[in-house]
Amino acid sequence: MKKRFNRRDFLKLTIAGLTATTLPGCSKNADWQDLFRRRFQELTPDEIKGFLERLEERYSKQYGVKIHIKATPPVEGVVFGYALDLSRCIGCRRCVYACVRENNPSRDIEIQWIRVLRLKKGEFDLEKAEHYYSPELVPEDEYFYMPVQCQQCENPPCVKVCPVKATWKEPDGIVVIDYNWCIGCRTCMAACPYRARKFNWNDPVIPKEELNPETHYLGNRPRMKGVVEKCTFCIQRTREGRYPACVEVCPVGARKFGNLLDPESEIRYVLENFRVYRLKEDLKTEPKFFYFFSIGWG
Amino acid sequence: MKRILMEITDFFSGMLKVMFKGSRWFYLWMCLLTLIVLAGLAAYTLQMKQGLEITNMREQVSWGFYISNFTFLVGVAAAAVLLIIPAYIYHFKAIKKIVVFGELLAITAVLMAMLFVLVDIGRPERLWHILPLLGSPNLPRSILAWDFIVLNGYLLLNIFAVLYIGCNQYYGKEPDRKIIVPLVMVSIPWAVAVHTVTAFVYNGMGARAFWNASILAPRFLASAFSSGPALMLLIFQVLRRVMRFEIQDGAIFKIAEIIAYAMGINLFLMLAEIYKEYYTAAQHLTPMKYLYFGLDGHKRLVPWIWTSLFLNTIGFFIFLIPRIRKNFITLNAGCIMIFIGVWIEKGMGLILPGFIPDALGEIYEYMPSVYEITISLGILAFGGILYTLFIRTAIAIDTGRLRHKEAPPIVPEEEDTPLAANIMTRDVISVTPDTPVEEIGSTLVKHRISGVPVVDEKNRVIGVVSESDIIFREVYEEPDLLERVANIILPEQYRVQKKKGSYAIDIMTSPPVTARENTPLRELVQVITEKKIKRIIIVNEKEEPVGIVSRIDLVKAIEKISY
Repeated sequence: MKKRFNRRDFLKLTIAGLTATTLPGCSKNADWQDLFRRRFQELTPDEIKGFLERLEERYSKQYGVKIHIKATPPVEGVVFGYALDLSRCIGCRRCVYACVRENNPSRDIEIQWIRVLRLKKGEFDLEKAEHYYSPELVPEDEYFYMPVQCQQCENPPCVKVCPVKATWKEPDGIVVIDYNWCIGCRTCMAACPYRARKFNWNDPVIPKEELNPETHYLGNRPRMKGVVEKCTFCIQRTREGRYPACVEVCPVGARKFGNLLDPESEIRYVLENFRVYRLKEDLKTEPKFFYFFSIGWG
Repeated sequence: MKRILMEITDFFSGMLKVMFKGSRWFYLWMCLLTLIVLAGLAAYTLQMKQGLEITNMREQVSWGFYISNFTFLVGVAAAAVLLIIPAYIYHFKAIKKIVVFGELLAITAVLMAMLFVLVDIGRPERLWHILPLLGSPNLPRSILAWDFIVLNGYLLLNIFAVLYIGCNQYYGKEPDRKIIVPLVMVSIPWAVAVHTVTAFVYNGMGARAFWNASILAPRFLASAFSSGPALMLLIFQVLRRVMRFEIQDGAIFKIAEIIAYAMGINLFLMLAEIYKEYYTAAQHLTPMKYLYFGLDGHKRLVPWIWTSLFLNTIGFFIFLIPRIRKNFITLNAGCIMIFIGVWIEKGMGLILPGFIPDALGEIYEYMPSVYEITISLGILAFGGILYTLFIRTAIAIDTGRLRHKEAPPIVPEEEDTPLAANIMTRDVISVTPDTPVEEIGSTLVKHRISGVPVVDEKNRVIGVVSESDIIFREVYEEPDLLERVANIILPEQYRVQKKKGSYAIDIMTSPPVTARENTPLRELVQVITEKKIKRIIIVNEKEEPVGIVSRIDLVKAIEKISY
């Protein structure tokens, strides 16, 4: 439910604002010890452990659910790649909902890491794409669908522009964000050509019963107001050898995922046996997210 | 240590005493601004509590009114210091004050710009992450990190310069030029750098076609150099009314002329951009189409940008045509037009089309929410309060009302220096435009003078004929470029005949160099050496000649002072 303010509340706050000189932005849960810690990448394993424990405690108290936060490191010899078969996608948005259930984004103001575009057959102009299609039944005859999420670029423009190194590319190719270091300037959102980055405009709202308690520090742990987040190829799953939630849920098998360095992987099979393309290739961002067509219009 | 503390307390108690002593208008002005600041503060408190959801920014348009104002104010800050250049080149008399007022405006504008960033970011309490050593600035890759550094450097530089000048004046000492000049010389290229880096923040994003044009940084500078001085002109006129701040009309008109050129360049660059997009008519055109004509019925920015274009164009012509820019009513109207025009063009007109349509082609129309506007007005009002107090302190120090108790008393400036009226030769012999050259020659010989003013039928000075004008007419008449070309390429019978002017109007130097009777000696000397002339015609308010100051008159006057 969205909180709305009327004029009286505004006046009340005016008075409160004049008297209160509290540190801006600090919620009551603010942990002073962690406010002045170092960047996540600079912490020792011991410090990370202590830090994660404090975070778990804080989150569990906040959401009333026991939450587990891990920091599984990248696996050596693994670089993740993703491929999406546009000829199979039926635009059902199950990937979107599975992602929401898995990754704990805010339900109000709603954040979704995957966005499915509906395009008219015979055209490929993003400006003519429909973002808010809602027919009775999908797929529709005259359209095809293109889901877009973080493309996990090799040359991520978002990482380049971040003024505080709050986002970086991990050795396994996943671009991650330290939600506790991000200052919320949103420059990365301006730099991203794929609209992959989302901002928490308010205190994220997640119903207790929908919260996924199995989380990763750089991935799906609950976020706070004023920071940026994005798809991490389900880092909490994939680093442990599982599929991302969107791959798992896709009813038509349009989503393929795997280790780009492993010649036997599913993703390598796609790259070697189908003609693939990447979104906005002219920008040289080198996405590790490929689109392909395995069959004609069925 | 204790002494320093005492000195500082003394200064501040003195400052408080003079700062808040003012007329009813001053208090009304300050109260109004304070109320706006409080409203802004209240809205910001709400934003802190609720998050940026109370703005109309969303995922599609993730920067809005705050960042628009930030961009514009960086331009104002840069231009305020750049104004020192013409002040130097054209030897404006009030140069020292222009430096101080300009740098104070730069300080205020940078502070406001930073506040706009502060209110825009989601986690202001983490801003220290961008500090070198303490945090982790993403250098050298992130332009925003650079921007933070150059902006703060610029702020410190200007604060230091102003403090240095102010402290010296407070203690009754003359600031050391060896420190001031390098400071100013550094702050000028720094001003250019600050604005360029800010442009580069947007410029370097391949994802945003509207910003990804190399013309952006030059355009930033051109528009800054028109809007900044426009604001300064208005401020100068207010200051000239309320205090002893002698900036001549000439200087104001000169700045106005510079505004015309800057705006001309700005409009040219903009048209170059429009041409490129429209003629290519590729995908890059879409945001521009949205801006100027709207897309699929989405046209919220259209009236704004056309207003801006209209104001900028009218402003350009006002400042271009000398007669119009020299009329204070049209001049001030032009200043306001250009200020608002650039504010729209470089604020919302620049930031929003970067996001509309967004990276996935969606159109989300943005206009600031009531809260965004309230917070923004609060910041601007805060800037207003700051600048008012800055200026009052600067004036108090300048006039000696705020001064260290042991400092030597202020020597009234130029009280003893003679004015033009004291040293000029009074009985002026003048000629009319139709006086034959021979007659002028004999007049010069007869009266043993070296030049005469030429006056029109209303006895207004329109030119000067000097010895050299007569000599040059006899021995050397330089054909103009067109004549020379014609003489080379045309057959003999068509060649331009050299006209031998035989009347005053043909050979006089026009416009003449004139000065008013109350011009001090120092300034007369400056004009004569700078323009390499031999005499200045002294005129009254009707532009009638009342005297002549020649080089020998100056020598006599200087000799008299030295004894």
